[in-house]
Amino acid sequence: MTAAPAVETRNLVKTFERGRRTVWQRIRREPDRRDRFRAVDGIDLVVQPGEIFGLLGPNGAGKTTTMKMLATLLIPTSGTIRVLGIDPLARPREVRARLGAMLSGERSLYWKLTGRENLEYFAALYHVPPRETKARIERSLRAVNLSERADDYVERYSTGMRQRLALARALLPDPPLIVLDEPTVGLDPQASRDLRDRVRELRSQGKTVLLTTHYMEEADQLCDRVAIIDHGRIVALDTPAALKRTIRAEEVVHLEIGVQGDDAGVLERLGRSATVARHERRNGTLAVTAHCASARDFVPAAFDAARSTGTTIRHVEVVPVTLEDVFLALTGRALRE
Amino acid sequence: MNLFAADARAFLAAARKELRQQRRYPTLFLGLFFWPVLLPASWVLMGHAYSGNDPQALAAFAERAGSTNVAVFVFVGYAMYMWLSSLLWGAGTALRQEQLRGSLEAVFVTPASRLVPLFGPGVAVLLPMGIIFLVIFATLWLFFGVVPPLGAIAQSAVVVALGIPSLYAIGALFAASVLRFGEVGPIVQLIRGMFVLACGITFPVAMLPVWAQVWAWLMPPTYIVDDMRRVLLRGASLGDVAPDIAIVLALAGVTALVAVAVFRYLETSARRSGMLGRF
Repeated sequence: MTAAPAVETRNLVKTFERGRRTVWQRIRREPDRRDRFRAVDGIDLVVQPGEIFGLLGPNGAGKTTTMKMLATLLIPTSGTIRVLGIDPLARPREVRARLGAMLSGERSLYWKLTGRENLEYFAALYHVPPRETKARIERSLRAVNLSERADDYVERYSTGMRQRLALARALLPDPPLIVLDEPTVGLDPQASRDLRDRVRELRSQGKTVLLTTHYMEEADQLCDRVAIIDHGRIVALDTPAALKRTIRAEEVVHLEIGVQGDDAGVLERLGRSATVARHERRNGTLAVTAHCASARDFVPAAFDAARSTGTTIRHVEVVPVTLEDVFLALTGRALRE
Repeated sequence: MNLFAADARAFLAAARKELRQQRRYPTLFLGLFFWPVLLPASWVLMGHAYSGNDPQALAAFAERAGSTNVAVFVFVGYAMYMWLSSLLWGAGTALRQEQLRGSLEAVFVTPASRLVPLFGPGVAVLLPMGIIFLVIFATLWLFFGVVPPLGAIAQSAVVVALGIPSLYAIGALFAASVLRFGEVGPIVQLIRGMFVLACGITFPVAMLPVWAQVWAWLMPPTYIVDDMRRVLLRGASLGDVAPDIAIVLALAGVTALVAVAVFRYLETSARRSGMLGRF
């Protein structure tokens, strides 16, 4: 028998109102003229048990909204959700009992309590049996390397430690599914690596992890599969390696070209030997991102193109293909725009 | 562990968490020692200034209030006021703090009953309130030489204990509105002011116009404060005030049901609009 997917959504939609309706408008029963926009616009998703699944996209893409609907914090406008085979709209408490969530990171902790006191409180909220509470807290603290600082006030923790404590809290109910919303945002590189290691350990314990991120490296290094999400829609979904293969390029070349007049000529010439994924002109400099099969062949061709169009190449950088390039190829925009 | 036992444990954990946080700011407790003395004392002194201890004035007061003891009358009223004030602010403020801090969603994503964050923090108010009652009795004894009989004190404690659910329910009703409106401070101030005026905190309810008295007797604090005064000042027994207590408990049940219904409605609305994560 095949296990039910950890998460399954069908045509999931969440619509919010934009703008405000004044009290005066309400009293006068004026028609509601607020804009309605779809933060999540028909997402179909199947997350298999035991995988680390990433939702990658820029801020405002709909990642957190999707996560909150899965975690029962938001009611979808339409569509269906199953979390571990359970409908969170019909049986929200059952879903919550099986779900570890790290949603607002360090803000979601009580800074005037110690790490251990925070976990004691949440252990009770998660209905951890009293006899198991102490052992469960110790295990969660050990899992995030916080045992030695467990009795310090959270206000004395670094941001990374608070994020780890928030993860420890998500582990308290020993859930089969853990959702992490931007788990490494605001962390320094070392703390980010540390937290990613903790997440990998969860997979080795057979847990399913669903995380959102706008860091392409994080999605690339951590996730078994990634859904790239933009304007509330999934624009691509596959393993990071397969996603990178979709842009049919082995390397990415970033060029900075000094241009006096029209830049159409040089772009047209560059396009003959590579795919110009993105170009932007600012203060006489044309920044170009080109996807190519071989930088060794493309870079000399680019210099020829510049020479023949009276422009000057000022900077060349060759980098491997990343998920950022996949996003760029799919949407024409960078992740951080 | 069944669901009810698990929620009861979560409920106590919520109260313990609030108390732990309060304990980390010890200066907050200072107010418990001077407000219950200063506020009512100023009213008692004003009362004495108006009457000049004139027997005729005191008799007029006794006719309306049932006793010539202005100090006990006012101090009991203020005990009620501070208790009500703590509960009105306590539960709502705790929920609002969760909202501002960002921990509300973390609480709501747990399987604990929604009644835990609604009613749990209110329990933490009971300890400071106990201190306030002790300070008030100590002040009456030390500064006004009033020592009510031990039996009367014990019976008034029972009246207070039986009044807890109703005040708790009123606090929860206002806490629920945090989910919709976020900041409810001004509403709480307005309601608290109305309670002061209508429930006979500093003057007998008989002083109000008849229509206002009708409203006053729909509010549980009016009964609680009146029963405490009857027990402490007029020697009434628990049996004498039992009908009032029954009304208070019935009003508590109605208010609690309304609070839970309002909370559920607003929570669903907040889950639709995304208000849970906003502030």
